[in-house]
Amino acid sequence: MKKIRSQLKNALPLFLLIFLYWNPLLFSQERFRKSPPNPEPFTELRLPEINYKTFPNNGLTLAIIQRENLPIISLKAIIFSGESSSPENLPGIATLTANMISRGVSHLTSSRIEEEIESIGGRFFTSIHPDHSVFTFTFLEEYLDRALSLLSRMFLQPTFLSHEIENVKRSMQYGIIQNKTDPEFLAKRQLFRLLFRDHPYYKGTLNEDLIRYLNQKDLISYFRNYYRPNNALIVLTGNLNITATERLVSRYFYSWRKKELLNSPLPPPNPFTEQKVCLIDLPGAKDATIYLGNVVYPVTSQDIFPLIALNQVLGGTPKSRLFMNLRESKGYAYYAFSNVGSFKSCSVFFVNARVTPEVTYSSINEILKEIEGITKNKIPIPEIEQAKSYLIGNLSLQIETFENLSSKASEFNILNMEDELWKKYYENIMLIDSERVLETAGKYPLLTPVIVIVGDSSIILNNIREFGEVELFNKKGVSQGILHLNKGEKK
Amino acid sequence: MNKVSLLKNKLLILSLSLFLFGWYSYSQAQDEKNLPFPITLFKLKNGLQVILSEDSSLPLVSVVVAYNVGSMYEEPGKTGLAYLLENLMFQGSENVSRMQHYSIIHNAGGELNAATSADKTIFFQTVPSNQLARVLWLESDRMMSLEINDLNVQQVKDILIEEIHHRKATNPYLESYYRFDQFIYPDFFYSHPVIGNESDLINITVEDVKKFYSTFYKPNNAVLSIAGNINKKKAEEEIRKYFETIPEGQNFPPVTSPKLPERKPIIRTHKDPSVPSPGFHLGYRMASPSTDDFYPLRIIEYILLHGKTSRLYNRLIKRYRTASHLSGSIEIRKNLARFKIFVVCGNTTMMERSKRAIISEINMLKMNLISEKELQKSKNLFKMDYINQYATSGDKARFLAESFLSKKSLDHLANELKKYLAVTRGDIIGIMRKYFTHESITLNIIK
Repeated sequence: MKKIRSQLKNALPLFLLIFLYWNPLLFSQERFRKSPPNPEPFTELRLPEINYKTFPNNGLTLAIIQRENLPIISLKAIIFSGESSSPENLPGIATLTANMISRGVSHLTSSRIEEEIESIGGRFFTSIHPDHSVFTFTFLEEYLDRALSLLSRMFLQPTFLSHEIENVKRSMQYGIIQNKTDPEFLAKRQLFRLLFRDHPYYKGTLNEDLIRYLNQKDLISYFRNYYRPNNALIVLTGNLNITATERLVSRYFYSWRKKELLNSPLPPPNPFTEQKVCLIDLPGAKDATIYLGNVVYPVTSQDIFPLIALNQVLGGTPKSRLFMNLRESKGYAYYAFSNVGSFKSCSVFFVNARVTPEVTYSSINEILKEIEGITKNKIPIPEIEQAKSYLIGNLSLQIETFENLSSKASEFNILNMEDELWKKYYENIMLIDSERVLETAGKYPLLTPVIVIVGDSSIILNNIREFGEVELFNKKGVSQGILHLNKGEKK
Repeated sequence: MNKVSLLKNKLLILSLSLFLFGWYSYSQAQDEKNLPFPITLFKLKNGLQVILSEDSSLPLVSVVVAYNVGSMYEEPGKTGLAYLLENLMFQGSENVSRMQHYSIIHNAGGELNAATSADKTIFFQTVPSNQLARVLWLESDRMMSLEINDLNVQQVKDILIEEIHHRKATNPYLESYYRFDQFIYPDFFYSHPVIGNESDLINITVEDVKKFYSTFYKPNNAVLSIAGNINKKKAEEEIRKYFETIPEGQNFPPVTSPKLPERKPIIRTHKDPSVPSPGFHLGYRMASPSTDDFYPLRIIEYILLHGKTSRLYNRLIKRYRTASHLSGSIEIRKNLARFKIFVVCGNTTMMERSKRAIISEINMLKMNLISEKELQKSKNLFKMDYINQYATSGDKARFLAESFLSKKSLDHLANELKKYLAVTRGDIIGIMRKYFTHESITLNIIK
């Protein structure tokens, strides 16, 4: 018995040790839990190579990006003409043409085209921009041949039947009418209408009334002018053999005939040099939706990166200044962000926010103060470094899907900034510093923006009297006159 | 031998045994090679299941922690508790301050989110791959020591009540969805809304939240799934460091077994002046998702509802234009599946026509063999959606975590897609006759 007791006594430290090893939490927290571990060294993203080929017979450009990890293919076909190339008296014809591309080819009705697309596991959709039109087609990789065959027929043998044109026009009108209850749509459209008031980009902000004037003859004429191989780019992303894919594309698009193009470079729109306030009345709207911004030009390859960083610090994410001020600190807004919209002939810097109507003026005031702050004072180093860290880290997330990768490649190609944005992105972001951001910000009229407010005028007017003069618009974007509000005289 | 040397020997034996234990448990890691992507599975000694999937195509990593708990684990009078806890998981824990989780992910350029459903709660984040240890630190801290107090519970309750109001204001049909769930699911546990009822949320106490957290947010009730640019061995070391000492949970309350469905149709009508147009919800009570019948059922979903050329879209929206909105799918809540269709029409006459058209299409699928061409089209659309479930590292980590929680094993994934694609025309007709019966129909008309 004594022996057993002595053995137990000898073994006690060991039991204690085992007990402590397995139950560290009973006594204290493990030290490594107290603070976050340091990150490992950053692995730089190497953007995949884009393999270009321009076919000599017709000038069609093909870009292939090889990715192996999924058995699908993303295709983007880009026509380097968009709504700005619609004739002056026919805004909307570029949109109608693009929407008609999948609505019938010789010996294949629009329903049969839909059948064919879905038979290869595909999805097809169209988007029209001021400078270009994009056709996105994603399908299972084993059907590349069928997909290219179908796409080539859309571009080479469209039928543009009258009844299909009427169907598409109806659905375009319906889409715009539906959007008229969406304050974001109304505010953004109005901002761009005013910024592009005397510029071809204005045609991209059409309303439903103009669609009825579009007809088959004008559509065919537009198609013949702009849907040409020397005005097109096809981007393919997937597990592709480059030579075989080039041969396939050549086979299907060989007979697409080139033509001298009518595209000519557009001058930039004139920025606003004085602040302008507009209100669109949306009765019953519970919030005030704000879009404010101005044209920024020229955005050179040296300016684009400081501008991206400025946007990031000001309103790129919920951690940026606008969101932290208007939502987290003041409690005025549901959200507040800033953006840089890039076009071929200019960029647009704009802020969008949704706020409580009673604080509309105060919110706009805070937004302008934040813009002033960032254009007049150097951004502190930790803040600019944080923005850079976000921009570098986030790029990989932006190109994760094949479709996003194709989109990025197309976007950089359209803006003629492929070298800076694709090949040297990391280096260019690393070179940004507070001085360069301040210098770039000073070049642009960010403090004389157009301000568009969408909301219930019976509530909002009383809360924006401090502006003095406000132009009122209806939901179609037609001016209803200028209101002269008495400052400080609230009802 | 003096006591010190004895102790030294015993320490040596202990450390050797710990080393062997560590080595042994590492050797238990199981590689699944037949999947469309590689995975490695292992379990920590506290029961946390870990799934790793290495993919070096981008310098990214996604970390998903999924807990085997959702709204169906809530008691009557406590609805919204699971969703409240999901939101509370971003409000700080013992070593992580209120906005710190968000800040760390965001500052690195990453993204994060969470989702609660009837049977699971999932947290996911994607970051540059050099940030993996930081994310593991964040996730382990909130699994181990979430901060739950009067202030942060009240803050989250206020946000959720605002969200309930916002959802109701922006979706006039929301109430009809909730009401339909009460008819098509057998009891309270399966049928109540994930977001909860406002009155229940108001009455939830801090003690309720603490009890729910301490019961369900345990390593042996969770799966940790990591996909992306990782070094497997190093990742495992970090995972063990941050998660293995988190105490396991015990006595997880089982899900209340569903009542057997009644073998009779359920047809209800309710008047709701807030809806802009009449509509209806139509549903069928289905097979358990774990049976082989589920493969043809999923393909039937595509034949009827997916794509612009699906039978119902083609008939209701394109050809006869009797409906202005059509949506639907098979919905899974734990071991129950339901086929649900929602239709909005311009008027009650169109509604009657739409209803008849759906029943007619279903009857046609029961009586006539579908063509090979149409079946292949539906399978290809399904295949594309299936592949897209693991298109990004975040999708993949989530796909693996959800698959594990729903099936409790990942072996089935090696052949799962093949089984869907092997469905025959005969299977379709057989399954249509078996499940799309008059007795299993549930219809809720909204006027």
